[in-house]
Amino acid sequence: MGIADARAMHPAIEIVEADPGADRRLLESLADWCDRFTPLVALDGADGLFLDISGCAHLFGGEDAMLSEILRRLRHQGFDARAALASTPGMAWAAARYGRGPDRNVAPGEEELALAPMPLAALRLEEKARVGLESVGLRHVGALIGAPRAPLARRFGSMLVTRLDQALGGAEEAISPRLPVAPLSVERQLAEPIGTTEDIERLVLVLARTLRQDLERRGEGARRLQLALFRVDGAVARITVGASRPLREPLTIAKLFHERLTALESGLDAGYGFDLVRLSVVAAAPYAALQTDLSGPASAEEEEFSLLADRIRARLGDEAILVPALAESHLPERRARFVPFGGESPSAVEPSSAGEAKPTTHLRPIRLLEKPEPVEASAEVPEGPPLSFRWRRALYRVARAEGPERIASEWWREDPPAPARDYFRVEDVDGRRYWLFREGLYGGEIAPRWFMHGMFP
Amino acid sequence: MARNAMAQEKIFALRREIARIEGSLPERLQAPETEGEPVLRRYGRPAGAADFAGTGTPRFDAAFGGGILKAALTEIAGRETRDGGIVAGFALAIAATAARSGRQAQRPVLWIGLADMLFEAGFPYAPGIERFFGLAPEKFLLARANRFEDAFWVAEEAIRLGGFSAVFLELRGNPAKLDLTATRRLHHRAREAGRPLFLIRHSGAPEPTAAPTRLLVSPAPSPLRETLTGPLPRSIGPPAFAVALSKSRTGRSGTFVLDWNPHDFTFQERWPSGERGSVRKSGRRAQDPGCLAAASFDGPDPAAAARGGLAPVRERRAG
Repeated sequence: MGIADARAMHPAIEIVEADPGADRRLLESLADWCDRFTPLVALDGADGLFLDISGCAHLFGGEDAMLSEILRRLRHQGFDARAALASTPGMAWAAARYGRGPDRNVAPGEEELALAPMPLAALRLEEKARVGLESVGLRHVGALIGAPRAPLARRFGSMLVTRLDQALGGAEEAISPRLPVAPLSVERQLAEPIGTTEDIERLVLVLARTLRQDLERRGEGARRLQLALFRVDGAVARITVGASRPLREPLTIAKLFHERLTALESGLDAGYGFDLVRLSVVAAAPYAALQTDLSGPASAEEEEFSLLADRIRARLGDEAILVPALAESHLPERRARFVPFGGESPSAVEPSSAGEAKPTTHLRPIRLLEKPEPVEASAEVPEGPPLSFRWRRALYRVARAEGPERIASEWWREDPPAPARDYFRVEDVDGRRYWLFREGLYGGEIAPRWFMHGMFP
Repeated sequence: MARNAMAQEKIFALRREIARIEGSLPERLQAPETEGEPVLRRYGRPAGAADFAGTGTPRFDAAFGGGILKAALTEIAGRETRDGGIVAGFALAIAATAARSGRQAQRPVLWIGLADMLFEAGFPYAPGIERFFGLAPEKFLLARANRFEDAFWVAEEAIRLGGFSAVFLELRGNPAKLDLTATRRLHHRAREAGRPLFLIRHSGAPEPTAAPTRLLVSPAPSPLRETLTGPLPRSIGPPAFAVALSKSRTGRSGTFVLDWNPHDFTFQERWPSGERGSVRKSGRRAQDPGCLAAASFDGPDPAAAARGGLAPVRERRAG
């Protein structure tokens, strides 16, 4: 029916263009929300969700109570949902869509009985196979269950048999959860929703204490932690913090989340409050239980450093605290670059420097520009040091210069190789000392260009 | 113990009396030769030689009453952003002397920079810092913040930790949030932790500060390279800094040209006479302010504005 026909029949009708993207986002946020019932939530097509509630039902007072709780909450949010509980995903899918009566749940062992009167569409078949089956008069699943399987598979494809087995429990079917399942998580249901940052932090501390016992039992510490805050109206906020060494101490964990929450303050919308808070360990690592020796508090100090670094990272982002990583290279920018603290250790970045990281004998500036900046320079003689140069619109007269120090490009890395650089140390008339280089040669193939690269003390 | 404190109190009172008679400040009096009672200083804490980072240049150290305080906030200012290398170098050199005289050589340092400043003046370069100041690259940590508030927070937390041999906070201009209260907070944190905190400021107008010491660092032509046959003409020697005391506890002022020896990590003062290179003498020799509080020189006196009961007027940058 076209829009014009529909309007003619019902003039008051409201036309809204379909927006599959928005529908998808809604379904995803609904899946996020369903995370409060079980960590294993999978999307199913455009309009369905699979919830694997194995081992979760008892938390909500049994399967039936859990199902009615889910439906009640969805109804409160304004969703008209149909749900069914069964032992296999296939059976649950069929029962939710084609089951009759108020109680659609299928008890274990009753799959055949429940599936038999349902139409073939309940088997999640392809259109072609379904039409083919209907054309030979097989309209109900019951007609297929008892039928010989080899001819069926030969004529209508093996998918038919697989789907049948999956619904009846003869073949395993795994749902793919939307979010990775955390190895450890603790949560707290709240009768009275909380909204203030202080309350959240207090709760994190309580949860972290519980988490600590689990971590100790497994001999692990947390490298990444996620705090999931389930808002009353269905939105879910997830906050992640990282640690540069495995953590167990609840106070430390609470501190990291404190920094993260302080940084987020404006971004965290509590709305009507959160009624479920879950703390999960996303990544864990073996926790080396070190015995403190008498030779000094070195390890305690290092722990303090990494805690400070973690707090800075939690508040300002992963790129906020950096350490130089040295590499065996003559190119200044490759020789030392900054990498985030606590990531891969500098020695892992670069294999050969462990033993021979000796201070360079060449003079190097103490500040290096992120990118060499082009300057206009004039030299007295070709190949010679500059007489004067213009950098950032200021003119510098060179009083003294030393150089050149030629640094060739690393042809085994670059293709085509960059021209060699001739570095000069220059001092201007006021006494500022800079590191300039010339790329290319006078009279060569590439016109020479001058760059400012660093400053000396 | 109580007697000891009483005796110190008495010595302190006597020193003040002598200073009054001589028309000078107690800090300017010659320290007693004997290894006796430490002299009571401000904040009621005795200060010994271990509290100062002596640069090894007598005239420069004397201007501070013994050297730069180790457990304090020290402001190191540069006139222009393009002097970034010179100013950073001087701060690192002071930190290197401070770390050497203490037992903290093995501790790391933290450099806190605002992202735009780092792009403008360049990132610290670890191999060069190791070459000039003997600081191993693995002992160098860089914190990069996007806002002044974040940088300030990192500085406060880092100095409170007390594990760093020095913390550098590098800023440009005059952030509105960096007022007297903010510098006082930093100074108190540094004093409690017993570690130096260097506030490096580029191209900012002088402002009231709680830091007991403020130095204005400008570029100075380096000495010539020494060879066996004498100085090598047109060569660039070790780093040199022209340092002007802008504020000090003793109330003295002056300009010094210091050469840094990158081999044994010491300062050497270059005497204004007899050397090439122009050494700017401080034009205005300030009068004895006659009070114990630190006084500032070479700039409008911000304290005067503050004393008027009004908010300090921000001076527009000259030049």
